[in-house]
Amino acid sequence: MSEATAKRHMGLRASRAVSNTFIHVLLIVISIIWLIPFVCIVLQSFRVENTGPVGYIIPHQWGTDNYTRLFQTDFPRWYTNTFIAALVTAVLQTVIVLCMSYTLSRFRFKMRQPLMRFMLILGMFPGMLTMIILYRVLKDLGLTQANAVPGLILVYVASSGMGYYVSKGFFDTIPMSLDEAARVDGATRAKILYKIILPLSKPIVIYTVLTAFMGPWGDYVFARYIAFGTSAGKNVAVGLYDWLNKDQISNSYTMFCAGGVLVALPVTILFLFLQKYYVEGVTGGAVKG
Amino acid sequence: MKKFLALLLTAVMALSVCLTASAESLAGTYDITVWVAENAVSLTEKQIKDFNESNTDGIVFNATIEAVSESEAATQMITDVEAGGDIFCFAQDQFARLVQANALAKLGTKAAEAVIAANDAGTVAAATSGDTLYAYPLTADNGYFMYYDKSVIPEEDVDSLEKLIADCEANQKYFAFEQQTSAWYLASFFFATGCKSDWKTDDEGNFISVNDTFDSPAGLIAVKGMKKLVDSPFHLSSGSVNEFNSGAAVVVSGTWDYTAAKEILGDNLGATDLPSFEVDGKEYHLGSFNGCKLLGVKPQVDAVKAAVLHRLAQYLTGEKAQMERFEALAWGPSNVVDQASEAVQANPGLAALIAQAPYSVPQGQIHGSWWDIAKVIAEDVKNAKDEAGLQQALDNYYDKIASLFKLDTSALLFVGAWNGWNNADDTDTYYLKDGSVTLEVPQSDYMGGRIVTPGSWDSDKGFLQVTTGKELIQDLGDDVGDNNIVFLAPGNYTVTWDGAAITIAAN
Amino acid sequence: MKQYSDLEFLKLSRGQKFLYRLRRFLLSIPLGIGRFFMNLFRALGKGIAGIGRELGEIGSTFVHGDWKTKISFFIMGFGSLARGQILRGVLFLLFEAVFIAYMVMSGGYWLSMLPTLGITGPSEEYSEILDAYVTRYHDNSFQILLYGVLTIFFIIAFIYTWRVNIRQNRIAEKILASGKKLKSGRDDLRSIVDDQFHKTLLALPMTGILVFTVLPILFMILVAFTNYDGTHNGYTNSLFTWVGLDNFNTMLSWNVTGGAGSQSYAATFGEVLLWTLIWAFFATFTNYFLGMFVAMAINKKGIRFKKGWRTILVLTIAIPQFISLLYVSKMFAKNGIINGFLMSMGWIEKALPFWEDPTWARITVILINIWIGIPYLMLITTGILMNIPADLYESARIDGANAWQQYRKITLPYMLFVTGPYLLTSFTGNMNNFNVIFLLTGGAPTNPAASSAAGTVGYTDLLITWLFKITTGAESQYYLASVIGILVFVVVALISLVVYNVLPSIKNEEDFR
Repeated sequence: MSEATAKRHMGLRASRAVSNTFIHVLLIVISIIWLIPFVCIVLQSFRVENTGPVGYIIPHQWGTDNYTRLFQTDFPRWYTNTFIAALVTAVLQTVIVLCMSYTLSRFRFKMRQPLMRFMLILGMFPGMLTMIILYRVLKDLGLTQANAVPGLILVYVASSGMGYYVSKGFFDTIPMSLDEAARVDGATRAKILYKIILPLSKPIVIYTVLTAFMGPWGDYVFARYIAFGTSAGKNVAVGLYDWLNKDQISNSYTMFCAGGVLVALPVTILFLFLQKYYVEGVTGGAVKG
Repeated sequence: MKKFLALLLTAVMALSVCLTASAESLAGTYDITVWVAENAVSLTEKQIKDFNESNTDGIVFNATIEAVSESEAATQMITDVEAGGDIFCFAQDQFARLVQANALAKLGTKAAEAVIAANDAGTVAAATSGDTLYAYPLTADNGYFMYYDKSVIPEEDVDSLEKLIADCEANQKYFAFEQQTSAWYLASFFFATGCKSDWKTDDEGNFISVNDTFDSPAGLIAVKGMKKLVDSPFHLSSGSVNEFNSGAAVVVSGTWDYTAAKEILGDNLGATDLPSFEVDGKEYHLGSFNGCKLLGVKPQVDAVKAAVLHRLAQYLTGEKAQMERFEALAWGPSNVVDQASEAVQANPGLAALIAQAPYSVPQGQIHGSWWDIAKVIAEDVKNAKDEAGLQQALDNYYDKIASLFKLDTSALLFVGAWNGWNNADDTDTYYLKDGSVTLEVPQSDYMGGRIVTPGSWDSDKGFLQVTTGKELIQDLGDDVGDNNIVFLAPGNYTVTWDGAAITIAAN
Repeated sequence: MKQYSDLEFLKLSRGQKFLYRLRRFLLSIPLGIGRFFMNLFRALGKGIAGIGRELGEIGSTFVHGDWKTKISFFIMGFGSLARGQILRGVLFLLFEAVFIAYMVMSGGYWLSMLPTLGITGPSEEYSEILDAYVTRYHDNSFQILLYGVLTIFFIIAFIYTWRVNIRQNRIAEKILASGKKLKSGRDDLRSIVDDQFHKTLLALPMTGILVFTVLPILFMILVAFTNYDGTHNGYTNSLFTWVGLDNFNTMLSWNVTGGAGSQSYAATFGEVLLWTLIWAFFATFTNYFLGMFVAMAINKKGIRFKKGWRTILVLTIAIPQFISLLYVSKMFAKNGIINGFLMSMGWIEKALPFWEDPTWARITVILINIWIGIPYLMLITTGILMNIPADLYESARIDGANAWQQYRKITLPYMLFVTGPYLLTSFTGNMNNFNVIFLLTGGAPTNPAASSAAGTVGYTDLLITWLFKITTGAESQYYLASVIGILVFVVVALISLVVYNVLPSIKNEEDFR
């Protein structure tokens, strides 16, 4: 190795080391900014000296009172409601989304293009107002207030077909030649789906399950409208949010934080384990639209 | 034969009367839903149990009690009246909305009489629309006053807004008083200078007139005082005593926050009436709304259930129940007997409210949109650069209030207390929809005004539209301009407009 | 305008290309409109001809058909049953029975009430003995509108099924005449999982979309033509009814109704729309570029704990926004911990007006939105970045390109090409980003000049949060909210149309295969 190239290599390595150090520092700063709110929420949930919102971060007195108090309220009920809704939605929504996206990706039928264009246009309407009418429909089915959970599931699942884009994008990346080969072998369409496509689609299935599971935890506006006036039908978002009312916040703010930590727990754990698939699913599909 | 038939008929009728009478018996078990505030749930549970045990009619309630915030009850009821609580508690400001949505059952004649006799007049007025009583007064403590931190604010400064602001700024502490976020608190400055916003509703909860004097010289003084507060970098538009935890030294709030405030500040907690502010060398003591909480019964399709629910409502707002509520939750009673009791008089949380009482204004019925329109004043005042800007803030407000009625083509404007020329010193304005308004004419000379149809200030035919009561007024014709009228004698008059003609009657 | 040949076009710089395409698009609008109407007329003509042909076919089927076919005109599925296709026949028959039963029992009523949306409102009686009022409810405008629309859906479905039933008879006759065998029920069942499999798969999702998306949106559109609001709730107080285009006139009018100091509806709408667009633009592109930057930083060779950084960022996705955003909103309050920290360090004298000043508030929501958005973008771009062929960079490096040049010439074009459609959906998604604004500011600070008749409008309010405020506000003006909803749709649709026409590579989905 000549002296000149060696120098160049050294220089490159040095500049790379400098830029890498810089990036490391930057990432540390970013991580701190991203973590502050969560750390704060967790710290608030262990504060016992005062149950309202305060202007400092580190508790003066630590304890688990907020968690024990949480279980004397209706919180367990709300938590169960949400958990059930999330679980059932995750399963059903995945089935629906996969049906929809598989069909639109694999079949070429007359109504395909109009159908996709139609759903694209539908998606441009702001959904906010439709909650009034959805309430009415659910009420006629007896699925509001105390029975809000099945009602919520129905609405989440029923309209989920619209969100086929990502998984359709994923299916598009699976070569058509696989299907054709199986067709030649005499497999029915249904068999192709179960035997060939699904085993290849683990990332997108997990991605869909994960997003479907996450949805119900954060739904506030619609869930509140459907379960109005009944504690039994509330989900965690509605229940916890109500604790921030002016006549309750002094007493419930730290419980709100404790509840928030418990809500974040299952989703966070799932994310930690399934992150890899999530990334594969989203990159395989999202970009294709 | 005929006689026999007649006899038979009478017998049948008598029997049927008996049957109806027995069908009217109230005994039975009723499944009901009751909405109360979170902290009142267990007490209400106990009170309904007491009612079940003590009533002599054999009424048994199987009640589901839900925690619904009193400030949210109207929004929740209006979602779906049919599915709402059979009995529900709500803060007074939502009354008109609830009546308009038909979410409140009128009180029967006897029930109304009992409620009127037992409760504070202000709270009864709060539950009345037109001449109809729609709800039961539950508390009379929905007003605000000042909490402060004694370790920051010296005792001698609590009577002056300017000194309080200076103390806060010097100590880098916040002065929490809702302005930009709530018209309920913001009105405080206007009441200080004697401004008013009186609204009238008819029996169906529709707003028929308003007498609003915020846009006046007195109102200008009020916004000058407000500007001192909102311009301070240490003003916080918040009404929660939790701000004491986050650097506040003064918080304007109500009795519901007393326990929380005590817990935070302990012995350093001070509670007293609101301070005064000074404009052009004159002191104005801040006013306040004096409101209440009400309990309503949802309209029922079953007469018997309606009757038993009203029984329960009466019990829950009766002397005994209100006293229990005071003892357990320190809610100030609306019942006159309870109000007079020693315990209530001596309560420290209510003491500050009582100190503020001379400066407070009963809340009455206020148009739902007023809250949105009025709170904008604070934002405008903060942005104002000079006196003209402040006046503009009031003008904007005035226009928006006027438009509430102008939107309706049958609206009519009435300007009283006219000085005779095209100047409007000391003017009261009435916006009158279909309905009537009572006005007071203090003196006869040059007092009167003009009646115009909306949007036609230039070519009004006000006087010409008066069909009855012409003898009480005089048309000033074009001499003074625009068919202005004057009342011939001082006194109390009722002016009615039915969309086509005006009737004037002396009271 | 000069029309470039392909070769000339390729020689243009990137910016020139874009401008050229934009100009071409704008110039093509009048032509496009013309073409649209031409197409519309042609479609209309085609439609009329189609209906004529259909009617002709139906007529000839009746005239030339055998007695089984003729009876099928009245008793659906009779032909199929008579020809041994039991499954089909029973289904047709069942459908007709259900339809008739429904129409007799309630459909007729809903349909007859649809023009007026109800006649009798609730009434009240006083019982002296009980000393209580009783309320009697009568017509329900809301239900009439809802079930009226459903009934129309049902009738259309019936006519379609009836038509299918007739065509099947015709086809069956033909098949039998040619001496072939008809499909059996077993064949039908097999086709469900094979050549008709797409219909099976779509049946459930499409039913759901029809009932829980299409029907509500249709209803919402219809509400814009009624006076449905808090004082006309259609059941417990006054009924509501049709008012034609009144609400659109109100919303789009430049007349000031709220007094001299306030704006007209149209001006307020314009102001909110402008901010919505500015917000959507910044929310989309700040996230996009910063997210890409973070992804590249993490992916860079020599960076340690790659998985750790990603996990930390991903936490924001895992924790529901109603918790994190509410907390973040409090952090930025006048007496929140951020101002407290800055003041205790002595860096500022008085609190920064994060939420009090309009411009500050707008910038703050965009900044906080970066905090929410970067993790998503980081995840999405991570995968795509890995997909960029490494030899592209290798050869660039040999040519002596520095990092910035590599980014400009390789990474960015590739990313833009692949994520073009994503950017569009993300833009329209941000226009309707309810959660972020609702949880952070609730629209505050208030805009004093905004039209008063439409509730309080704040400087950070998007159209969607404004719509929500109108719905839940003191007057519950559903009709106005629904007008805004329709206008939002128009705006979003227009933007999508422009983007589809100006950006290349978005249009053809097959390109990506």
